[in-house]
Amino acid sequence: MEEFHNGNEGSFNSDEADNIVKECIEGVVGADDYSQNLVNKWTAGIVERCLTQLVKQGKSYKYIVTCAVMQKTGAGLHTANSCFWDTAMDGSCTVRWENRTMYCVVSVFAVAIA
Amino acid sequence: MESSDTFLIRPHHQHKFKPAVVKECIREIVREKLSGVQYDPEEVPQLSKTLADSVKEKVKNAGFDRYKLVVQVVIGEQRGQGVKMSSRCLWDADSDNYAEDVYLNDSLFCLVAVFGSYHY
Repeated sequence: MEEFHNGNEGSFNSDEADNIVKECIEGVVGADDYSQNLVNKWTAGIVERCLTQLVKQGKSYKYIVTCAVMQKTGAGLHTANSCFWDTAMDGSCTVRWENRTMYCVVSVFAVAIA
Repeated sequence: MESSDTFLIRPHHQHKFKPAVVKECIREIVREKLSGVQYDPEEVPQLSKTLADSVKEKVKNAGFDRYKLVVQVVIGEQRGQGVKMSSRCLWDADSDNYAEDVYLNDSLFCLVAVFGSYHY
């Protein structure tokens, strides 16, 4: 039983998750312009890449990753989260990224397993 | 979270997270709070927070004990722009699930997603 608990510092490290997510977004979308045809591929790619990178950390968490990509037209966008969980062990992190033609908002929620 | 029955590794069939039920909860609240509302950049931040909290309370009261909930609300102005939202989850497909709903009116769009994760 001892080895099982050693990998966990006890709570979610949101700075590390922040960096992982930023790298994934840059990797997938980087310098491209908003394109209706490609947006499906982008959101799927960003989300899958983030998830695989997070899982590589090897911590005992379940992950929920959401990504919203929006074209820049001057319109406003707001996101809000409300969570019912164990505040000691679980955590979230939200990353806002933009380039010349679009906004990208990625949220990661990590829920501890037992 | 109560500590009784900690040996349960799967929810009982009756207590499983039911997407259809949760979707109804979301629909009712969103339609009640957002019909006839115009997008206003001053009010929308507060509105999205209260919407997330009310949806969370309602789903909690629907009786999904032992489930940890994550509610995400996205409200945006309608100006003919394109938006795409997607999500992936790493969890136990037997016990965990999600529900979502989209609401549109002339001046705004609102998306609510509720993810439920079973606490063993």
